[in-house]
Amino acid sequence: MIYQTIEALQILADIIGSILLFLRPILIPIGDWMVGWIAIGMEFLRNNFGTSYSFYIIICVILVVSGIFVNVIWPGDRKGSIFSKSIDKIEVIEEKGEVSGEKDIIDEIKRCKDCGNPIGDSEICPLCGARN
Amino acid sequence: MGSVKNMVRGSIFTAIYVVTTIVIPLATFTLLFDLVVQGLPLDFEQQDYNNIVFWIVAFGLLISGNAFITFSSPKQSIRRAIFALIQVFVNCLYLWSYKFSGAAVLSFIIVDFGVMTLNVQQMILMYMGLYFLTIILKVYDIFDFTINRKKIRENRMKE
Repeated sequence: MIYQTIEALQILADIIGSILLFLRPILIPIGDWMVGWIAIGMEFLRNNFGTSYSFYIIICVILVVSGIFVNVIWPGDRKGSIFSKSIDKIEVIEEKGEVSGEKDIIDEIKRCKDCGNPIGDSEICPLCGARN
Repeated sequence: MGSVKNMVRGSIFTAIYVVTTIVIPLATFTLLFDLVVQGLPLDFEQQDYNNIVFWIVAFGLLISGNAFITFSSPKQSIRRAIFALIQVFVNCLYLWSYKFSGAAVLSFIIVDFGVMTLNVQQMILMYMGLYFLTIILKVYDIFDFTINRKKIRENRMKE
């Protein structure tokens, strides 16, 4: 056996073995629990899809095709190619709307000719006292 | 350009998974099925062999399909983390299908000699325990990628 002839491999196998033996009391119950749900899953598959490959082929094809579609739409390194265009348009419209709205409001405010302080409907600036 | 790169990566990993989960195990079991030791043929029971082959191909297809969507997803994306978790679950089923199919307790009938039994059930149980740690890791990934989503996306856009 290769493990017995090469000493380094033998030592490595011993170390891994001792780690696994140390973890055994923890790992075996977890493994047992895992086996519980896996056995239920397997039983379900055996009873319902245990005779034909068609179900598995269909799932495989669906996964691959949906993978292709998802990657075309959301490639990850840039904004998506289809939906992002409309999102960009919405963002541009919103930005324009915000900017123009802000400008309109600012333009409507009456300001003092000397200091630029908003004076509302008043003729005299409350800050500098200048007559407008 | 990113989508093409992603899909090429996905296709490569799908091919790797097809080879490692379907082709190699099938070839191994077929070889074992026809193995002759010192002139004496080892005999699998035909039913066991058919079961093993069925589940290997079935779960191999699921794993390979899942591998495509996992590895074609961008790095550190939530969808990659989710499908990686699904992949671990399907891997568990695949692994256990060996036991379910009778491959954890393999019996070879050596004609005119006797029966040889290979029991690896304890080893699989322990491996399942180790595999549980992988599940925890993948769940952690999902939380990590969800919480740091904005930061990850910003970094990805910069690249």
